Amino acid sequence: MLRDITFGQYFQGNSKVHRLDPRTKLLLLILIIVFIFLTQNMISFLIATVFTACAVIISKVPLRLYLKNLKAILPIIIFTAIINVFYGNEGKVLFSIFRLTVNTGGVYRAVFMALRILLLIVLSSVLTYTTTPNDLTDAIEILLSPLKFIGLKNAVHTLAMMMTIALRFIPTLVEETEKIMNAQKARGADLENGKLTERIKALVPILIPLLISAVRRAYELAEAMECRCYNGGEGRQRMKKLQFTLLDVIAGFVSFLFCGLIILFNVVI
Amino acid sequence: MSKILEVKGLTHTYGGNTPFVNDAVKNVSFDIENGEIIGIIGHTGSGKSTLVQHLNGLLKPTDGNILLEGKDIWDEPKKIREVRSKVGLVFQYPEYQLFEETVYKDIAFGPKNMGLDGDEIDKRVKEIIGLVGIKEEYLERSPFDLSGGEKRRVAIAGVMAMRPKIIVFDEPVAGLDPRGRNDIVKIIKDYRDTYNATVLIISHNMEDMALLADKLVVMNKGNLEMFDTTENVFSNAGKLKSIGLNVPMITEVFFELKKMGLKVPDNILTVESAVDYLLSLKKGGVLNA
Repeated sequence: MLRDITFGQYFQGNSKVHRLDPRTKLLLLILIIVFIFLTQNMISFLIATVFTACAVIISKVPLRLYLKNLKAILPIIIFTAIINVFYGNEGKVLFSIFRLTVNTGGVYRAVFMALRILLLIVLSSVLTYTTTPNDLTDAIEILLSPLKFIGLKNAVHTLAMMMTIALRFIPTLVEETEKIMNAQKARGADLENGKLTERIKALVPILIPLLISAVRRAYELAEAMECRCYNGGEGRQRMKKLQFTLLDVIAGFVSFLFCGLIILFNVVI
Repeated sequence: MSKILEVKGLTHTYGGNTPFVNDAVKNVSFDIENGEIIGIIGHTGSGKSTLVQHLNGLLKPTDGNILLEGKDIWDEPKKIREVRSKVGLVFQYPEYQLFEETVYKDIAFGPKNMGLDGDEIDKRVKEIIGLVGIKEEYLERSPFDLSGGEKRRVAIAGVMAMRPKIIVFDEPVAGLDPRGRNDIVKIIKDYRDTYNATVLIISHNMEDMALLADKLVVMNKGNLEMFDTTENVFSNAGKLKSIGLNVPMITEVFFELKKMGLKVPDNILTVESAVDYLLSLKKGGVLNA
């Protein structure tokens, strides 16, 4: 039950997308998402969809996993689409409920919006499925490193370290939660039945030991880090240096081509 | 004596329908008589913990049955919480599961979940702290202010206060000093004697097993390797060693003596029985047999 929760969604593989530098992936993702939100018409949407589909195919991650992510976000997509249907004020009026009118412009708007979110989720999934959480935090640390020059000298490294530790401890805490749940169930705690208020109350015997053990772990980890002479980011080196390769150049080129096409078709048509 | 617990063809598979299918327990069967103390030994990952989590219905068998007093515990899935009050389970490091503001409330958590009334709960709490050796003035303290050994005794009392007919301990003495170990061993024995209960203990410490257990369940890679009296299991030192387990140190000494050609018995499990044996030899004057 708890094991179904996936935060670090990394899917082991060695595809071309896996081998890209995490910095490239992160920057290009941001760039492409911006351009997906700039798309205005059918042709540019078609280009965006083809681009996303290619990324999915090259990643060699099973389609089933992408669908799983989409399923989780489906209510939001539907909700956004419904809201947007009423916001169109062009085209033929299709029907009206109370004072709300729905016209063809609104329908286009709703479909585009749903498609945008869908592409956004799939593309972000490509990133999380093909990049280990550690690579991702490394990339964030390096990309944010210019903040050093505006007085946030240690903040960037600290932030990245916190993210790394948080990600590292998610499976540990999940395991711990299961253990505590079993122990309280063995003492007759009822976690499955009862009214909402009763169920919330039933969480107390689980949350308190979990919190205490998290604090205990934090102290232990801090001591262990100090024993190994950790003193923040200064002078620290990496075992795995991130390196740009030809693949990154190609990925960058394709992405810029994509952006160029979107601009072209938005302007021309 | 009557059979209180029967394990019949128990199989548990983790991660069915995924590439990580793993039989944690494979076709395990044994019966336990009322009042026995059973030790469960085996390597890390041999399926001991998975096995005991079936006994009170925390895990549902993939195949096979658990009979408690002759009745399958999964006959009525709605009543599984009743089973959990009859079969108490004390997890490893139980002190990490304390959560209430006071020792009293924490011990009362189990009995309260059973739906007992206030007077009965009060009676049980007061009775059980006497058995585990917690002073009455500790009842209003926070469990987090106690020492490690005291915390563990409070946590054990929390399970014992439900007065289970069968109580299962997973590594009850792990991480305790020698005095703490002896305290826990005594508590386990006292509980059995006071409530005529049946006890199962998982442990890696063969000395404790030799002292406590009437019978041993030996698990190896999910299979039941042996189920016999403690004496018979430990006299089979060769087999135990072949699956990476050991015998009590004093048994090992006698095992080596035997290898050297001395005619000594192989059922010496405790230092006391070794002393008795050697003294009897001295009396008989046949030390160099």
